[in-house]
Amino acid sequence: MASFSERYKKRHGMGGMVLGVVVLVVIIVAALAGYFAASSTITASTSTTTSIITTTLPPVTVTVTNTAVSTSVSTTVSTQTTFATPTLPPKGSSSLPTLASPISEAGSSLVFPLFQLWAANFTTMYPNIQVNTAAGGSGAGQTGVEAGTITIGGSDPFLTNAQQAAYPNILDIPVAISAQQVNYNVPGLSHPLNFTGNILGGIYNGTITYWDAAAIKAVNAGDASQLPHQLIVPLHRSDSSGDTNLFTTYLSDTSPSWAKNFGAGNTISWANVPGAAAESGNSGMLTGCQQTQYSIAYIGISYEIGSSGAVALGLGTAMLQNLAGKFIAETQANIQASVNAQYINTPPSERYSLIYGPGATSYPIVNYEYALVNMHQGNANLALDLRTLLDWATLPNYGNSPFFLNQVGFVPLPSSIAQLTWAQIAEITV
Amino acid sequence: MTALLGGSAFLFLFMIIGVLLIFAYPSIYVNGFKFLVSGTWNTPTSASVVLVDGFKELQGASYGIWVFFVGTLLTSAMAIVIGVPISLGVAVLLSQFAPKRVASPISFCVELLAGIPSVIYGLWAFLVLFPILVHTIEPALNRYLYFIPGFGGRVYGTPSGVLASGLILSLMIVPIVASISRDAMAQTPLELTEGGRALGMTKWEVTRKIVLPYAKTGIIGSVILGLGRALGETMAVAIVCGGAGYLPTTIYGAINSMAAFMALNFSDAGSDVSGMTTSALAELALVLLAVTMLVNVVARLMVRRGFFSSAEHLVQV
Repeated sequence: MASFSERYKKRHGMGGMVLGVVVLVVIIVAALAGYFAASSTITASTSTTTSIITTTLPPVTVTVTNTAVSTSVSTTVSTQTTFATPTLPPKGSSSLPTLASPISEAGSSLVFPLFQLWAANFTTMYPNIQVNTAAGGSGAGQTGVEAGTITIGGSDPFLTNAQQAAYPNILDIPVAISAQQVNYNVPGLSHPLNFTGNILGGIYNGTITYWDAAAIKAVNAGDASQLPHQLIVPLHRSDSSGDTNLFTTYLSDTSPSWAKNFGAGNTISWANVPGAAAESGNSGMLTGCQQTQYSIAYIGISYEIGSSGAVALGLGTAMLQNLAGKFIAETQANIQASVNAQYINTPPSERYSLIYGPGATSYPIVNYEYALVNMHQGNANLALDLRTLLDWATLPNYGNSPFFLNQVGFVPLPSSIAQLTWAQIAEITV
Repeated sequence: MTALLGGSAFLFLFMIIGVLLIFAYPSIYVNGFKFLVSGTWNTPTSASVVLVDGFKELQGASYGIWVFFVGTLLTSAMAIVIGVPISLGVAVLLSQFAPKRVASPISFCVELLAGIPSVIYGLWAFLVLFPILVHTIEPALNRYLYFIPGFGGRVYGTPSGVLASGLILSLMIVPIVASISRDAMAQTPLELTEGGRALGMTKWEVTRKIVLPYAKTGIIGSVILGLGRALGETMAVAIVCGGAGYLPTTIYGAINSMAAFMALNFSDAGSDVSGMTTSALAELALVLLAVTMLVNVVARLMVRRGFFSSAEHLVQV
């Protein structure tokens, strides 16, 4: 049986063939043109399951008060010059210049749910400014901003020294403070399990293979009898991930042998643990952990709480050992304690790791969430809108308010850090 | 006009190869033969940039694709082993045994299957195949077939791995192999088959002794075409492979393939400011291109006998 094209050619001839192809191409081009014309008149909405508030926030008088600082930290403010709190333009379509295309944000899947909330609510305040958000991993965010294909790169870690040297114009701007937990899928436990960095390193390098290993029982004396004799399935990220960076930094800080053999980074050369699997994105880790019995995974806090988070799915959350030797649960108070104990040390470039910090009740895996932005935007309108967006996101009565941060489990930037952030945002120009 | 269009296809192919060669040159020069035989792919993005053999590289980086190469071959071989008997069965059924009114809709459906985008197969595998694998198939294989090397050992909780990749790839090559083989078998001259029936052979004997030997070249060509598709398959394998950095010891362990690895790790290339990872990925792309092109050229040479042209529209990547 001759093919369709051969039969067509026989019946209609060569000219008919060319005519048919031309007609087909014209139809496709017309359809595409119609689609683009139609879509440009419809405002694009990128929010999925997160709720959109339809009422705008009341403009509260902007008085920034320090968050509660623990008494062990000296109360003298550091010698950094204070930066005036930014004022936002009045809400409405006429306050900010309209842009030819939406502001694009992509990268970290840990900060992605928060950016989704911010994008939707920023647009209700300035309806002519669209913000597109995407996940894809911190590595994709870093690469995108370096290449100039996206405007804001969401990244859990700040750029490495090599990257910062190669791209000196990229600012690492903290917009909030997040945390990461270790979830596991082990039925029949009555209390959360304690883990040290060494034990987690042992699980991920294959030296600790069973859930009832002596090392795990040693730190979980009360629940030792409930630990099953099953193989541990360690899950790690397949994509270039800031969460991997946070987790491996914790492992490197706690275990010198991990630092020597594996190190920390967005991707590392994982050990050959039989049965280990790679998942894509925080959502992939969550799904993989839920579907695989006796698995263990490192997941960001924005996937811990909420109606489809790890807690709701019945996964356990580990109590991790901090620098003071205590096993700490991942609560807002403990995250805040970790921040309060060390944020004073943040340099003006704001490239600082909060992981494994001091404090008796500090949760060990806490970090600044960075918006990576190029200092030179090339377009005055884009620079203005971008500065407004980032100021809006980091103001304590707008983006950094408990209304948004509580939905993802983050804590706000302390006042002096917010001022450093605002100073960096002011550097974004043409 | 046709010469112009034909020439542009040639030009496009050489452009792709040329661009890849330019990007891959640093990696080819620095890594050499070790690229193909080393099993370690390590991009330490936090390290500093050093000069190696005159090219910039991250300190401590190593690029070796042995795991991905073996993974590609292993999953494709598994796809052939599982898929070809099924495809041949379907082809024999459709060309020899099924009545016309049954054979037409079935062959139409088989040809439709070839057109489904591969990522949909991946999604189906993730939603439907994984639970079946974990709860039913893998425990059964482990219990009853443990004596076959690779089937024994432990069954892990995660279904992604060699078995899942092999199954999904076999599902994807069945339409191609079945359609082309069916066309090849249908081309058997009527006088040969009728002569066989006249001599008193049963239908199955006619199929086995007359049709299959006559269509042998076409069938082998179709298998090689299916192999070509399986080698280059990206998205479905990326979803089900498990993203391993090491070769598994059993068929239940995680695996990786060249195409899937490239799809999942291209963002790594951007994080490497020295540019060596981009170069290594381009070299990996060249290796994959060479393998699939070789397989496709061999297939086309074998199937040239005429019944290939009618099923040309089925071949896609």
